[in-house]
Amino acid sequence: MPQEIDREELRMLVDQGAQLVEALPAKEYGEDRLPGAINLPLGRLGKEARDVLEPNRPVVVYCADSA
Amino acid sequence: MSEPKEAGTKCAHCGTSIECCEFCDESACQAAACFECVNEALGQAVPQPHTHGG
Amino acid sequence: MYDYATGKLDWLAAGLPSEGSNASRPRAGDVARSDVPTCRMDESLGDVRERVGAAGWNACVVVNEEGVVLGLLRSKELGGDAAVRIEAAMRPGPSTFRPFVAVEEMAEYMIEHDLESAPVTTSDGRLVGLLRRSDAARTALELRQKEGGAG
Repeated sequence: MPQEIDREELRMLVDQGAQLVEALPAKEYGEDRLPGAINLPLGRLGKEARDVLEPNRPVVVYCADSA
Repeated sequence: MSEPKEAGTKCAHCGTSIECCEFCDESACQAAACFECVNEALGQAVPQPHTHGG
Repeated sequence: MYDYATGKLDWLAAGLPSEGSNASRPRAGDVARSDVPTCRMDESLGDVRERVGAAGWNACVVVNEEGVVLGLLRSKELGGDAAVRIEAAMRPGPSTFRPFVAVEEMAEYMIEHDLESAPVTTSDGRLVGLLRRSDAARTALELRQKEGGAG
């Protein structure tokens, strides 16, 4: 189960080299995204994460909000 | 279903009864929009694909 | 694995840098005027009107001590009885808009709704500035002209 973090914790993790993953559809990702984030929509997250993400760096996943 | 008597107008986009336009706060606005439609139009609300499965 | 639960909207609402096709387009927070006059609810309309006029404005945002927007005074409200307190004269709880909203969208809506100005605030209601319709429309037009080339 992923650990929930807030914005300040996110910034600290990013400073430590965390990988950012936006789990929204490609259209939303193309319009606005956090700097350095890659796009893995939720349906592909499970399948492609292993291929795309580095195993020794923390991973932070986000969507639009918590709704 | 009967219309609520207190509603001032209707959202021009989705038809929801609203007291006033959520963009300009005017009840007589000809292009009145509800809170959700305003937020969606301005990109203040980004659609979610579905909830996090965890 | 971590979940940034409050998500992209939280990040954008905080005015933090972003990437993507919208990142280079002017946003409401970029064009909103942070030098808009502000006042408190317990001031008199006459005092505020004088100060607003001297500053060359015809609008004023009512805020509390933390800068949270409580109300708005546009031309109509500023023209009221000088002896009245701001709390009674203001338009309370105006619709507010986030800094990351595209200026082009705001311009279109402000023209359609005949809205002369709109407060831009952070997600916790703190004033960023007042977006004037004229500024939004001019910025949108300049952007269209730039993207359209010679047109």
